[in-house]
Amino acid sequence: MPMSAKAAGAGLPQLDISTWPSQLFWLVVLFTAGYILMAKVVTPRIGTVLEERRAKLDDDLGKARTASEDAARIRAEYEADLDAARIAAAETAKQAAAEAAKQAEANDAKIAKKLAEKVAKAEAKLAAARSDAMSNLNNVAAEAALAAVVQLADIKTTAAQASKTADKLVAAMAKQEAN
Amino acid sequence: MSGSQGMHSPVAQFEIKPLIELSFGGYDLSFTNSSLFMMLAFGVSAAFLISAMRGGTLVPGRMQGLAEMMYEFVAEMVRSNVGHEGRPYFPFIFTLFVFLLFGNLLGLIPYSYTFTSQIVVTFAMAAFVFVGVTLIALLKHGLHFFSFFVPAGAPKVLIPFLIVIEVISYFVRPVSLSVRLFANMLAGHTMLKVFAGLAVMISGAGGLAMAGSLLPFVALIGLTGLEVLVAALQAYVFTILTCMYLNDALHLH
Repeated sequence: MPMSAKAAGAGLPQLDISTWPSQLFWLVVLFTAGYILMAKVVTPRIGTVLEERRAKLDDDLGKARTASEDAARIRAEYEADLDAARIAAAETAKQAAAEAAKQAEANDAKIAKKLAEKVAKAEAKLAAARSDAMSNLNNVAAEAALAAVVQLADIKTTAAQASKTADKLVAAMAKQEAN
Repeated sequence: MSGSQGMHSPVAQFEIKPLIELSFGGYDLSFTNSSLFMMLAFGVSAAFLISAMRGGTLVPGRMQGLAEMMYEFVAEMVRSNVGHEGRPYFPFIFTLFVFLLFGNLLGLIPYSYTFTSQIVVTFAMAAFVFVGVTLIALLKHGLHFFSFFVPAGAPKVLIPFLIVIEVISYFVRPVSLSVRLFANMLAGHTMLKVFAGLAVMISGAGGLAMAGSLLPFVALIGLTGLEVLVAALQAYVFTILTCMYLNDALHLH
């Protein structure tokens, strides 16, 4: 074979130009075939997978973002509701407290009135009892005075007369006291 | 390989060996070891990428993650260096990167062939990129394209010199692009072969010299690691420079 025979003899095989046509021919043929293979089969396949992945990731990220926004909105709504409820509860509590205070006041007043009535009644009873006692005392004193007069002056007088006199005396005494 | 025969030439590994003989119009177009590995570079990479993406699951497994990483790596390279307008060229850039990466890496397997160590291959690719971006620039910007060679804001006196420099640097692009890859592969593989040959030769001496062969052998292991790095790095460099040239063509600085 002239190719290798020549190359072995003289220096670098690379400089043996008799091998160049074959190398160039097969380079052109195989590189063209390789280019078609890479351009039509290999790179589109890898590119498609990468593109699908990117689309899927973008899609998922979009979904996640939407979900996150939804969650934030729901949370805000919930917090607003919570605040409103808290305010309403405070209002209700205030009203209840005010009502209770009013009722308590009313009750106090009622009880105080009742007590005052009771006191007034008791005082009236007491006053009646006292005047009763006083009049009884007058009778006793009249009887005692009558007995003393009968014993001293030996005068017979009626109990009624004596009581009349005693009353007159008491009235006089009361007048004197008032003066 | 035996010690008594001496070392093989370290450049013998670059020989083109026809596997299926073929000729057309007086040219030898045989399918060679180089052609086989070009085919394997695409075959292995496509098999890997397609099988890794078979499931096409939402949450990628290990293999799918690796395939996607490769795709994203090139996509990001195009996006950051060329911008949105580079999108239509992404399949080409991706093919270029995969071809060079797998070609370089497969070439590191013992008994395989590194087609990127052939200057004619790297130059053909660099020339294609060069002609391609120049045509893109001319189609997009018309004659305005030539303003690319006039640096903005330069002093008027210097402009003629700068134009010469810019034109030279523009036309040197395919040369530097192809030679960088070719030279890296040539030097790396030659060096590996030299150390491997040395280890075999020393061990061939027998006896105590066997222990001495450990030294180049350990060096060979280190160099192999380095070459894996170089293989990936040079594929990246070739691809990113292509992106930058494309960016220049689309945006004229």
